[in-house]
Amino acid sequence: MDPSGIFPTSYRADRRLVRTRWQAVCLALFLVVMLAMPYLVSGRIIAVLNMMLISAVIAVGLQICTGYAGQINLGQAAFMGVGAYTASILASKTGLTFLLTIPLAGFAAALFGFLFGLTATRIKGFYLALTTLAAQFIFHFAVLNLPSSWLGGSNGVTVPAAEIFGLRFVTETQQFYMNLAVAAIMIAGAFGIIRSRFGRAFIAVRDDDVAAGIMGINVAATKANAFLIGAFYAGVGGALWAYMIRFVGVDQFTLFHSIFFVAMIIVGGMGSIVGALVGVFVIRTIQEVIATVGPNIADSASFLGGDIVFAGMNVILGGVIALFMILEPKGVMHRWNILKSSYRIWPFPY
Amino acid sequence: MVYFINDIITGALIGLLYALVAMGFVVIYRASKVFNFAQGELVIIGGFIVWFTTMQLGLSLWLSIPLSLVLAGLVGYLIERIFLTKLIGESVFSMVMVTVGLLILLRGVVLLLFGASVRPFPIIFPLKPLLLGDMLIPMNLLIGGIITIVAAVGLSWFFNWTRSGLRMTAVAEDHVVAASMGISVKGSIAFAWILGAILSTIGAMIFLSGKSLTFLASDIGFAALPVALFAGLESIGGLVLAGIIIGVIQSLTTNYLDPIIGGSLGSVVPYIIMLAILLIRPTGLFGWRTIERV
Repeated sequence: MDPSGIFPTSYRADRRLVRTRWQAVCLALFLVVMLAMPYLVSGRIIAVLNMMLISAVIAVGLQICTGYAGQINLGQAAFMGVGAYTASILASKTGLTFLLTIPLAGFAAALFGFLFGLTATRIKGFYLALTTLAAQFIFHFAVLNLPSSWLGGSNGVTVPAAEIFGLRFVTETQQFYMNLAVAAIMIAGAFGIIRSRFGRAFIAVRDDDVAAGIMGINVAATKANAFLIGAFYAGVGGALWAYMIRFVGVDQFTLFHSIFFVAMIIVGGMGSIVGALVGVFVIRTIQEVIATVGPNIADSASFLGGDIVFAGMNVILGGVIALFMILEPKGVMHRWNILKSSYRIWPFPY
Repeated sequence: MVYFINDIITGALIGLLYALVAMGFVVIYRASKVFNFAQGELVIIGGFIVWFTTMQLGLSLWLSIPLSLVLAGLVGYLIERIFLTKLIGESVFSMVMVTVGLLILLRGVVLLLFGASVRPFPIIFPLKPLLLGDMLIPMNLLIGGIITIVAAVGLSWFFNWTRSGLRMTAVAEDHVVAASMGISVKGSIAFAWILGAILSTIGAMIFLSGKSLTFLASDIGFAALPVALFAGLESIGGLVLAGIIIGVIQSLTTNYLDPIIGGSLGSVVPYIIMLAILLIRPTGLFGWRTIERV
């Protein structure tokens, strides 16, 4: 809700994303800090930020598909993988510039996602979750069993560095700016999609697909669109991933990674772009902390199994998903919004 | 020809093993309307319990098997109490997501407690295969197949003909309606998870008998998914037929098609069947026709 005294007087004003001067200042400040990040913090944190930016693109896509359109998607990592493989094959075999490979990776993933989205026009609920699960397995199978001259099979594909006008994106700082630019474009686009008639159709279908159909929304097309858009985001994120890691292998895109993305939007809050970003930040931070302290715990507590980082990550993420579903299904953003509105209407209770 | 028949029989028996694991899905779904993605994790937890009671505690099989089943039931009950009782009446999405959370939570717990190392699993069924002329039939799968059929007949009688079974069926139809008719939704879900965990443990014994045990064994949970869907999620008797069909198709693909195309199509064929079922006939062979089509 708006603070007291702010009344939109036109439709345009009502649709605005940045509604108060204070919000504009905060946004500008945030962008400046992000741009200055490489000068403020050390290399390790830049690497983590790179991971966060890429995850943000993918999680925002999942947020549109699952959070806004209500289509359960357990195959986001497979869609990401399709994007990553497309980008790496195009870059290594045809030498296309990343300005083209990244959108093309998005389109390839979108096509793959759309195929599975078509099933969403016939089934829903957890049956849909099962088809996206099948997408995950079929992706895995396809990569491992197609001739290895195509997708590298189990050996993976090495990706040349992104390059433009002789400038190669090799160091983490250079990649950070590339990721930041792409993530900014994609996230701004997501806000645009959500405000458009497509976004309103997504929300209507999520809330009640029968009612949405009666209002004249093409429910089947809307669901397929949601998958298309979500997978496009995953594909773009996958391409960025390929350019950052410079190596693509099938093990980077498993069901577990899909569940990590789901965990991000659950923690952040379903149906909120900012929520997806918050979720990415929380989950990636937890992951980083475990990766840092895990080996120390493993040394001091030898009765626990060896692979403590992966195991601990699973325990915490699984616990987080279950806890949020039980205690706060609407996520952190919901709590924040309650806090914000109670601050704005203080001292009145409502 | 003998090999062909042998492949069909082995495939059918593996299919029956899938059917037993899938029975865990179906029982939990049939009595609580929760689709349990963490079924494979229940199988390895069952496996580790059996390993713990026989290899660590050194009990004889006659003692350790009943003890393992009781412990597995207890684990199922605990999972239900901690995670699922709180979600009665919530949306399908919440339930599905909690079991997805459970999937990675339980895997993490198993990894933390037992590590990723490979362990020998006790030999529960005789290792010597049954020889029928030129045909080799693995003993564990044969006994497992018989157990599957017995369990399928017994459970389908229970759910379709007894009063308490019908009560649980009502819970699967609708939590709120069932509760307002005086049926204990909590009790039904608790029973479902206990039974699901016990069935998974039996599945683990058949699957792993005399082999090695790692957390990778949980893949059988996903392998059993297509069987559960093919039968229709509500049908226990149908699992036997669906399991045999999928097992035979998989076995024939592995043995006759894979050498031609030079890949492991056999491992992915069940999922292709699953996709086809979801598109053509989402209710499966014997499921209730209540799926909302769009």
